[in-house]
Amino acid sequence: MTDSKYFTTTKKGEIFELKAELNSDKKEKKKEAVKKVIASMTVGKDVSALFPDVVNCMQTDNLELKKLVYLYLMNYAKSQPDMAIMAVNTFVKDCEDPNPLIRALAVRTMGCIRVDKITEYLCEPLRKCLKDEDPYVRKTAAVCVAKLHDINAQLVEDQGFLDTLKDLISDSNPMVTLSEIASLTAGTCLTALNECTDGGGQIFIPGLLANYTPQDDREGPEVSICERVTPRLSHANSAVVLSAVKVLMKFMEMLSKDLDYYGTLLKKLAPPLVTLLSAEPELQYVALRNINLIVQKRPEILKHEMKVFFVKYNDPIYVKLEKLDIMIRLASQANIAQVLAELKEYATEVDVDFVRKAVRAIGRCAIKVEQSAERCVSTLLDLIQTKVNYVVQEAIVVIKDIFRKYPNKYESVIATLCENLDSLDEPEARAAMIWIVGEYAERIDNADELLESFLEGFHDESTQVQLQLLTGIVKLFLKKPTETQELVQQVLSLATQDSDNPDLRDRGYIYWRLLSTDPVAAKEVVLAEKPLISEETDLIEPTLLDELICYIGTLASVYHKPPSAFVEGGRGVVHKSLPPRTASSESAESPETAPAGAPPGEQPDVIPAQGDLLGDLLNLDLGPPVSGPPLTTSSVQMGAVDLLGGGLDSLIGGTNFVAPPTAAVPASLGAPIGSGLSDLFDLTSGVGTLSGSYVAPKAVWLPAMKAKGLEISGTFTRQVGSISMDLQLTNKALQVMTDFAIQFNRNSFGLAPAAPLQVHAPLSPNQTVEISLPLSTVGSVMKMEPLNNLQVAVKNNIDVFYFSTLYPLHILFVEDGKMDRQMFLATWKDIPNENEAQFQIRDCPLNAEAASSKLQSSNIFTVAKRNVEGQDMLYQSLKLTNGIWVLAELRVQPGNPSCTVRLSLKCRAPEVSQHVYQAYETILKN
Amino acid sequence: MISQFFILSSKGDPLIYKDFRGDSGGRDVAELFYRKLTGLPGDESPVVMVTTGGRRHHDGRHFIHIRHSGLYLVVTTSENVSPFSLLELLSRLATLLGDYCGSLGEGTISRNVALVYELLDEVLDYGYVQTTSTEMLRNFIQTEAVVSKPFSLFDLSSVGLFGAETQQSKVAPSSAASRPVLSSRSDQSQKNEVFLDVVERLSVLIASNGSLLKVDVQGEIRLKSFLPSGSEMRIGLTEEFCVGKSELRGYGPGIRVDEVSFHSSVNLDEFESHRILRLQPPQGELTVMRYQLSDDLPSPLPFRLFPSVQWDRGSGRTTLEPKPRPVSLNVRLHLPLPRGVVSLSQELSSPEQKAELAEGALRWDLPRVQGGSQLSGLFQMDVPGPPGPPSHGLSTSAPPLGLGPASLSFELPRHTCSGLQVRFLRLAFRPCGNANPHKWVRHLSHSDAYVIRI
Repeated sequence: MTDSKYFTTTKKGEIFELKAELNSDKKEKKKEAVKKVIASMTVGKDVSALFPDVVNCMQTDNLELKKLVYLYLMNYAKSQPDMAIMAVNTFVKDCEDPNPLIRALAVRTMGCIRVDKITEYLCEPLRKCLKDEDPYVRKTAAVCVAKLHDINAQLVEDQGFLDTLKDLISDSNPMVTLSEIASLTAGTCLTALNECTDGGGQIFIPGLLANYTPQDDREGPEVSICERVTPRLSHANSAVVLSAVKVLMKFMEMLSKDLDYYGTLLKKLAPPLVTLLSAEPELQYVALRNINLIVQKRPEILKHEMKVFFVKYNDPIYVKLEKLDIMIRLASQANIAQVLAELKEYATEVDVDFVRKAVRAIGRCAIKVEQSAERCVSTLLDLIQTKVNYVVQEAIVVIKDIFRKYPNKYESVIATLCENLDSLDEPEARAAMIWIVGEYAERIDNADELLESFLEGFHDESTQVQLQLLTGIVKLFLKKPTETQELVQQVLSLATQDSDNPDLRDRGYIYWRLLSTDPVAAKEVVLAEKPLISEETDLIEPTLLDELICYIGTLASVYHKPPSAFVEGGRGVVHKSLPPRTASSESAESPETAPAGAPPGEQPDVIPAQGDLLGDLLNLDLGPPVSGPPLTTSSVQMGAVDLLGGGLDSLIGGTNFVAPPTAAVPASLGAPIGSGLSDLFDLTSGVGTLSGSYVAPKAVWLPAMKAKGLEISGTFTRQVGSISMDLQLTNKALQVMTDFAIQFNRNSFGLAPAAPLQVHAPLSPNQTVEISLPLSTVGSVMKMEPLNNLQVAVKNNIDVFYFSTLYPLHILFVEDGKMDRQMFLATWKDIPNENEAQFQIRDCPLNAEAASSKLQSSNIFTVAKRNVEGQDMLYQSLKLTNGIWVLAELRVQPGNPSCTVRLSLKCRAPEVSQHVYQAYETILKN
Repeated sequence: MISQFFILSSKGDPLIYKDFRGDSGGRDVAELFYRKLTGLPGDESPVVMVTTGGRRHHDGRHFIHIRHSGLYLVVTTSENVSPFSLLELLSRLATLLGDYCGSLGEGTISRNVALVYELLDEVLDYGYVQTTSTEMLRNFIQTEAVVSKPFSLFDLSSVGLFGAETQQSKVAPSSAASRPVLSSRSDQSQKNEVFLDVVERLSVLIASNGSLLKVDVQGEIRLKSFLPSGSEMRIGLTEEFCVGKSELRGYGPGIRVDEVSFHSSVNLDEFESHRILRLQPPQGELTVMRYQLSDDLPSPLPFRLFPSVQWDRGSGRTTLEPKPRPVSLNVRLHLPLPRGVVSLSQELSSPEQKAELAEGALRWDLPRVQGGSQLSGLFQMDVPGPPGPPSHGLSTSAPPLGLGPASLSFELPRHTCSGLQVRFLRLAFRPCGNANPHKWVRHLSHSDAYVIRI
């Protein structure tokens, strides 16, 4: 007890000492004391007890001391809100200090103190500072608006700060404008690019440029933009270089390959990428990840630069592995000798991870470059001779792949492989070896002995090996039935009787039955001709690659995942794709394989412009050009840019900026920005309404009477690709409800809760909670009657309750439900006429455009439009989550007094038609 | 947009922690980072990491970091930002902190906590980069750096290179180049100094048959200026300097590089005609020019190495033959040996050399090598061969796995591999009533990866 007493006193002593020093008369001493306080704060000591003393030091004309105090305040104000109020007066006073540094300091700090109470005091000073004569203060105030918005968005709007911000855009000082982020529009960007020398600005502006996408598909502007961007390739800042690379990669997509300029660009892209590899390892790594993408898209850029990807012995391992990967991607007949020589060297290095990857790389070379296969195999054999355990195992795994690629070519090496049977201890290598023995059983004299040796420890093997062994022995039996009958029975009984693994058991039974009923069929099944393995197994899928190319220079390019996969909540995330290639350059390509936005020129008269703009907003495939500068639409698109919330970087990464390519005249530029800014802050709601489909009002699903006081009402929503069930739980009983859980019965579309039902606090009487329960469509499926019936069980601490509800089918309409025109025509013809269903929707006064755009927001896509005898015919497609396509023909008669819309639906599963029609009706009428 | 910035010591202790957005889970994020970093499997990259799972608060947080002078400089973000700009920002911050605190290190950072926070406040506001220019920041920074050792001119006798991180880091930075650029305004007079370094890193790859597989030189001209900002200076480079394959200048063979990039503040008006760079550098450190050259080097390689290995007895002779001109320092030959080698006997050609076994490799140190000489070392060791009949052992003539490649590390003072020299450094600035500013121009080449396969 005495001990602890001493302890607290000494501890107190320290604080007391600081307290005394803080209250000292001498400025120097005070300053030192505050510094000490801040130092202890950094190492995590609690010095909040000194709050009043430190705040007292604020009243000083010493700038250094003042800054220190502010620093302290920023850290502790949140935990001591009442104390922070004490400081407010000083803040307000400091905002009028003659020294601009102090004014800025006060505004900045006030914004950082995220205490609700302080915001009301903040407005007046902030307003003044936004109009301050000093640019530094103005800039600081501008950022402060963003901070305030995060605390209290409503306040920012009410106080009219947005308008003030708009005025600031025209500020003469570039530093302010930079902070004003919004000023970075494509128009000013191009010209600013050549003038901007400030370090910060240079990073950001070209990033914007990349998002700038031309609408005009004349050749002129593209070439001129490329020319303006190319000087940036030799910039000292790698972020700038990469942004420039991204721009050029995007524009190259639109240039014809036979153009001279295309070749020039290719040549210009290589040196900057090579230069990046001489940077520090961290940058190198990020650069290599990007180069990996670029090489997959356009290997021709770096095909002569193989040498720079040679691994240096002092590279960090992650750089080495990445280089190795790129070497393989660049490997071709021309350079394979060089690559192989390198890889062989790597395979003798010390680092085990690296050696394994190098051996694997040799195998990949063999598969990729056919002419080199023989040399690769002999290299691998050399490596096997070294008898180094992990090298041998790795080599056997890749040799298996080589056998699959070039069957009946290199079987002569099998003998060598068999020598190493005993040293294999990794499952993958054992499985590979067993596969080889089974596959070539007829050429290996002692195949049965070899396989039998594996059989001894059957139950200790991993599943992979067990499965392979089962198949291998069955193959052996089919090839040499006479000698191996015993063996096959042994393995079948091991697999079926003694194993707990259902996969193994099932496979065992299938073989058993096959063999016992029809050995000929068994032979056909087990020894069937295998498809050759593909060139490269780990290529990124083309559509994803195209999307990732648009994200060059962002985190997405490092992870090789689209941003939606890792950015929280998908805020400000839009899908990007490369602009469609021009028709001239890709004339050889068949129209089916052309990207979604078909070549411009044949489209505008068929597809309503309105629908497409909406389409652009939703899935942003930068479709056909829109004639004239689309001022109204660009304002909407600006709105989608999360300017202040997402910040500069999200501007770089996350958005597609569409604006006329020719530097717009200032007057016309003002309009989109202005409206853009006003959209700027209510972004989340804006995006929500834009991309979500129609949501029905909540209906009562489970009345309180039936559920011992629990009332459940709800509705279904679909937003940006995810379905959720919005529930409202009301406790109408007299006791507290807890322990909520929810379960669905099996249903037609496999709807299932994707997360547990989370009711955070107990639900007290007369309380209501709103919950959005995410749903997935991967649950088990059972056809229900009616089709869209969903049976739900909800449990709480009182009881379990059941109810059923009908969900509107449109929540199942997926975002990629747009069929290409040819496809549509072919499918329509292909589906038999008896599958066609006709419906009428009455009292629907919409015209074709309005209907189309309305339907599009619920993922019903207009494929084509036609006008026949005064009737607008819309051809539409949609896809359900389980992959069922529904094609529709919507007939709208604008002049028709009864406002009837006629709908015919064609679908391979006609039972959904009725429900699709209901979905149409709900969407169109709401 | 940046959520947090922190500096961790090499042991993972937080030295600086700054939260810009208030949307994070507090300072245990720093701990989380360190745990993640140390727990990473060998073949994964630590540069960019994302948190998944675990507590909701930290989900989807991306860590991007660099290591600098033993410290981890980390930023976190939760958006899809450009990792390049963040990495650039981090290295810029490292330079800035170096400029303001003298040098970057655990000691200097913890002595200057207040200053670092003040800097951070100006560089980043609410996670947005405001400015990183030393010049601009000077107007806002009030706190003075705490320097551990008073600076004295006598230290200049052993002036090291401030920027070059050589292989062994043997060249300790002298206190001249590692004092804060912007400290006490009082003794302005003392330090009218400019350091200009031409540093080249040489990577070479030589095949086992002696043919040259790859050579490349990465060069930098770095400037550290203690002069008041805005004083103009002119740097004259070798006049035969040409860029690209086609250009030819002067009568001689010319000094050729493949690619050059300049800092944006360099004025190139006189570059075309006279190879003169004009600039008005801000105080602090600046990379004026970067260049690279690959494949055909104008001068012969600085070293030739003739390794010969005999496997029957496990002995090898290595002969090192430096080229005539330069004196090289701190030469070290590093040769990984097969596993299990324990004993080593050696015959070296001079007493000041040293050879030892360390971490499964042979290390042969030559502190100073005179140009044009020939040095040789004979090493013998016993390799525990794979068990088996001896006849097998002899038939495999290939060296056992794990031997080589040999790598050399070295420094060549007063030598550039590309041949680029600084002809002159002229300052337009005349200090009022003071002696001429001191100018230090240094050239150095050092090895990046000089590898000879065996």
